[in-house]
Amino acid sequence: MRTRTISDLQISQEATVQKVIAKEPVKSRLFAMGIVKGAKIKVLEHTLAKQTWDISSNNTKIALRQEEARQVIVQ
Amino acid sequence: MNKQIKVAIVGQPNVGKSSLINAMSNAKLHVGNFTGVTVEKKEVFIKSDLFDIKMTDLPGIYALNTYTPEETVTKNFLLNEQYDIILNVVDANVLSRNLMLTLQLLDMHKKMILVVNMIDEIEAKKGSLDAKKLSILLGIPVILTSAKTSQGIDEINKTIIQTYREKQNDNKIYYTQKVEERIKELTKTLQKSPHFKDENYARFVAIRLIDKDENIYKIIHDLPIFIEAHNVLEKIYSSLTTELDEDSTADILSNERAAIAHNLYIEAVHIKQQDKSLSEKIDNILIHPILGLPIFLFFMWALFQLTFVLGNYPMNIIGDIFTYTTTTLAHILPSGTVNSALTHGIIPAIGAVVMFLPNILILFFGLNLLEQTGYMSRAAYLMDGFMKHFGLQGKAFVPLVSGFGCTVPAYMAARTLKNPKDRIITMLVLGFMSCGARLPIYILLIGAFFSTHAAGNVLFAIYITGAILGLIFAKILRVVLFKGEPEPFVMEMPPYRLPSYKALYMDLWYKTKMFLKKAGTFIALAALSVWFLSTYPHNGALEKSYEIKIQHTKNIQIKKQLQNELSAKSLEDSYMGHIGKFIEPVFKPLGFDWRMSVSVIAGLAAKEVVVSTMATLYSVGNASNTSKGLIQKVRENVSFNSAIALLIIIMIYSPCVAAMSTFYAEIPQWAWRIFYTIYPNVVAWLFAYGVYKLLGAVGH
Repeated sequence: MRTRTISDLQISQEATVQKVIAKEPVKSRLFAMGIVKGAKIKVLEHTLAKQTWDISSNNTKIALRQEEARQVIVQ
Repeated sequence: MNKQIKVAIVGQPNVGKSSLINAMSNAKLHVGNFTGVTVEKKEVFIKSDLFDIKMTDLPGIYALNTYTPEETVTKNFLLNEQYDIILNVVDANVLSRNLMLTLQLLDMHKKMILVVNMIDEIEAKKGSLDAKKLSILLGIPVILTSAKTSQGIDEINKTIIQTYREKQNDNKIYYTQKVEERIKELTKTLQKSPHFKDENYARFVAIRLIDKDENIYKIIHDLPIFIEAHNVLEKIYSSLTTELDEDSTADILSNERAAIAHNLYIEAVHIKQQDKSLSEKIDNILIHPILGLPIFLFFMWALFQLTFVLGNYPMNIIGDIFTYTTTTLAHILPSGTVNSALTHGIIPAIGAVVMFLPNILILFFGLNLLEQTGYMSRAAYLMDGFMKHFGLQGKAFVPLVSGFGCTVPAYMAARTLKNPKDRIITMLVLGFMSCGARLPIYILLIGAFFSTHAAGNVLFAIYITGAILGLIFAKILRVVLFKGEPEPFVMEMPPYRLPSYKALYMDLWYKTKMFLKKAGTFIALAALSVWFLSTYPHNGALEKSYEIKIQHTKNIQIKKQLQNELSAKSLEDSYMGHIGKFIEPVFKPLGFDWRMSVSVIAGLAAKEVVVSTMATLYSVGNASNTSKGLIQKVRENVSFNSAIALLIIIMIYSPCVAAMSTFYAEIPQWAWRIFYTIYPNVVAWLFAYGVYKLLGAVGH
């Protein structure tokens, strides 16, 4: 099966983080926001062209770009 | 003198540190909901019976891995400064995420207190937090607080004093066995060096090294122990990543902290998961893929309309008061230098500036409201896709919008941009965002040349045009001067919160005070010098010849005309007239007379001074020279085309001295400083000239 990232999810779809393949310093920032291995995330919104994503994890809402969303592998 | 306890307040952004301090000691701090509002280091002093407590509010940080310049400030403080206690503030709603920072801080093995803020929001959701249990698990005191309901606030001081007096607990955090073995090994190696004799400090350094902390790595790099420690470290990197199948040891520590934090959370917090929070419901509309952007633009438009329409009423009242004061004073005081300086120089100048206080306050109130409710970060989310096209990121939107308030804090807000290229581009185009001090000039010129009906729309157009020009220049700068990747965009969106009225009121009061102080001192001084320069030297012969002429005429109409002529001629002969004539050639192609030229130059000192300078220079032979009088004078003396050219100059050219010095302070490279000082003025002149010629060509 092809690996799925956040950018493949639909609005209100939930998933579990498998691996963060971003480079530093984005990786540390994602970790600090709670996007770590095993964390449950949910896609809340994305903009019309899917340029920017709004996801939630552990009561925290996080905005990220498509580029960063592609770097979080989910299950 | 009492003994001083030094406390460092540390927490992730948006945990309500600033509002907690406000509730604690009546300290005046700016409270905001957007990530990274507390840019500056702020200090708060509290006196108690035996001790003086000095608290340093450090900028919010997500982790000890520094990401933004603010986080570097905080980390440097924690590593290098002297302090007795770390006061770690966390938000009860997002405890498990906040605890990851707490765990990193605990590695430092300092005296520490955990303040769990916003506990009222957990209680409102019928949840509970077991402070005792959390305290035992962490080995440090835990206080439950709410800045909103003042719960637990008094306990903070008591706990600080108690913690200061007591011996430190052993509050170490232990990792899993495989990691602990490596930490011990590296600690032992480090302890061989005289720099790391203290075991706890050696352990902290060891953990930071395994966490791939570059700052700490630099510290050991210059020590004799480096080669030995480096060999051990390399071995740890490779063995640990292989055993645990991860890319980096930093990832391993992050995973472990996340697991520990999650367990602590499950042990201490009892709350039912809610299906959909209120914030999510609001976001369904406000950041809706289609509706979001129009709603945002409407908010901005409404804000500028309110600023103009609502602000008009108090503005007229203040204007009338100043006119009345000037006329009365002119009659009461004996005529002479003092009378002239007051009624022609200082009072009308201050009046012309203070009149705009209502407009500025409304605009600031609106921006603060957007910030405190948490909407500002939604705006950044909505704008990112758009801003990306101009080589900027959504986060740059906040300093840019702050630029509409005042360029000085906006330059500082640009520190939240991690990438130096992104930061400098944002700062270079920030001047295109018209600051609050430019508003009076716009209002004056719009008032003189447009109907009240169109005024709001014209003002909106000025702001939007400035913003668009700024974005275009950002793109040009990005393409021409800064090639490369734009900064990544990962941003927390704090939950919507009702604004704290105290914070809103404090901020506005602070702004009013600052503005009036500026008007009372700096602007009065500038006005006084403008008055002096435009009154002296006296031309005795000229005055005498006119006095005779005036005495000989009976016709009041002609008398008045002669008086105006005299004032105009004296002005032309004054120092100011000479300065104006000297720089006139520069502005001549724009149709400016020397008075406008002088006003533009004066605006470099402070934008407020432009209006007061015009008030002084155009006040020839007329005592009532605040608002309405001035608008009338401008209409009579300035052509429509030149007025538009002036608007464009004001829109684009260099901001005030205060802003320029802030830029110099933030950007150390001379090349950028020089570029920054020159290019806006060149661009301003070229645009003004182009539009002036264009208007002439279409027959205006």
